[in-house]
Amino acid sequence: MAKEKASIRVPIGDKIFRAISYVICIIFALACLYPLLLVLAVSFSQEYYIGLYGYRLIPYEFSLDTYRYIFRTSGLDFLRSFGISVGVMVTGTLTSLLVTVPLAYVLSLKSIKYRNALSFYCYFTTIFSAGLVPWYITCVRIYNLSDTFWALFLPYAVSVFFMFVLRSSFAQLPEEIVEAAKIDGAGEVAILFRIAIPLTVTPIITVGFLYALQYWNDWYLTLMFINNRMLYPLQFRLYSILTNTEGLSAAQAQSAAGYMQVPTETVKMATTVLTIMPILFLYPFVQRYFVQGITIGAVKG
Amino acid sequence: MVSRTLSVSKPKVAKRKQPELIRNAPAYAMCIPSLLYFLLFSYIPMAGIVLVFKDYNVVDGIFGSPWTDPWYNNFRFFFSSSRVLEVTCNTLILNLFFLVTSLVCQMGLAILLNELRISSIKKLSQSIVFLPYFMSWVVVGGIVYSFFSNEYGVVNSTLRSLGMEPVKWYQSPQYWRTILIIAHIWKWTGYGSVIYMAAIMGIDPTLYESATIDGANRFKQAWLITVPLLKPTAVILVLMSIGRIFFGDFGMVYGIARDNGIILENIEVIDTYVYRSMRVTGDFSLSTAIGMYQSFMGLVLLTLANWVAKKINDGTGLF
Repeated sequence: MAKEKASIRVPIGDKIFRAISYVICIIFALACLYPLLLVLAVSFSQEYYIGLYGYRLIPYEFSLDTYRYIFRTSGLDFLRSFGISVGVMVTGTLTSLLVTVPLAYVLSLKSIKYRNALSFYCYFTTIFSAGLVPWYITCVRIYNLSDTFWALFLPYAVSVFFMFVLRSSFAQLPEEIVEAAKIDGAGEVAILFRIAIPLTVTPIITVGFLYALQYWNDWYLTLMFINNRMLYPLQFRLYSILTNTEGLSAAQAQSAAGYMQVPTETVKMATTVLTIMPILFLYPFVQRYFVQGITIGAVKG
Repeated sequence: MVSRTLSVSKPKVAKRKQPELIRNAPAYAMCIPSLLYFLLFSYIPMAGIVLVFKDYNVVDGIFGSPWTDPWYNNFRFFFSSSRVLEVTCNTLILNLFFLVTSLVCQMGLAILLNELRISSIKKLSQSIVFLPYFMSWVVVGGIVYSFFSNEYGVVNSTLRSLGMEPVKWYQSPQYWRTILIIAHIWKWTGYGSVIYMAAIMGIDPTLYESATIDGANRFKQAWLITVPLLKPTAVILVLMSIGRIFFGDFGMVYGIARDNGIILENIEVIDTYVYRSMRVTGDFSLSTAIGMYQSFMGLVLLTLANWVAKKINDGTGLF
């Protein structure tokens, strides 16, 4: 700030460059926002006008008809999907943290003789894999994961990348503290829970959010393992509505045969809105954690 | 001299007779759940690789199924099916485009954002450009649909209102590579710019001060100071993408194109091809072989990228 005031006159070249920066950044930001606003606008439109004029940013007539329609015909399905998405996100994130944090901590300790071997054991899984088919057969034939709640988070339980993010955070802890605790007779488990975790809260929360986003946004595991519609998370409900292979529910088929016009187009967009709504609400509070996590991961991962 | 060192270190050795594995047993025990995870979901499936030499059928399972007659039978796709070569080309082409556009857009946006001086505008645009990263590919698929839907999409409405002929996007494979590239830019530019912004923050400000004294304007400073100093970050990111160039983004392609065989024509990547051939034709052995070929190429490329990274970075590789 002081530097800005100190410079008496900004040269013309700088002015032009700065102006161009503003223009490009604002245009790009609008381009990032526009699709989301469009989806929001269509979800508040009436199917009739969409049929006439197509999708547009400003609804012809603001209406909640689509949302009313969704909750009347398949409100329960939606609630169940929402519950499953939240359940997967919470259980998955807790499981992942519970499993990842100790590993990351141990791998950060210089006193562990085999830590490099263990790191490689973890890292190797990211540079070579058996491929989709053996993985799929193992999960389905041996672990019987088909149509189970477990299938929605267990296969993603540990992310090597997030683990390394945590490891580099643990590695920054001053060794003297750990040594002092050891002299006082604390074991590794006690040190982890009493000292290392309390001193690394922010990175752990960050990785927790990264995991939570991964689980909330996942639909791959559903595509692979879930045939039972009762177990569809929100993302996959959206996927199947967009695919059009199956409509909302049996109620829709009935109403299609009956008198009511089915708002298929606006339903697609309203479902999209319902899927991203929780993220949009949480975004202002969690954004800084993600920035931090990505920065740590990029620099040291 | 020798005897003295021995006599000093000897009691130490005697004291530490307990092997390290036992002394640190609690620490190793804490790792067991996650090590078990890697065993179950990464290493055990590797045994399934024998499938490439088998004629898999569901009844006999992986190990009970008979061996293929000529041992290379499942690799016949190399010679007979040109589709595997096609999807390999698609994967490489798409990833190359992603690599170049990411590099230019992400670094460019970070440099431009760094020029903004009104902090409210700077913060707001940073928040907005980072937002698409939080959207799943299914959501992006819905957004793409809202733009390119044949009847209702924004693009066709615009074309109509301009008096031009609307395009049947979802029946025209030739446009979809471009659409994927745009979607990729939309989703990842904000994310990547976060990485570059962090690197820019690490640049010594005195460099800019002395450049100002020497009369270099902001653009010259960006071009001659910021860009060269961002090179190490860029090189690592580029090498990482080169290492993964044989891996398509299943979520992106399948989330946007779904099962639409027509538009998949030009954008089908190895990953979606393996999935679709497993699900549609049910030829598990052949799909395993194609996956195997991909894993192998991936391993080679990653090792290569890592070797280059080590050469450039004085010994620190990608992993």
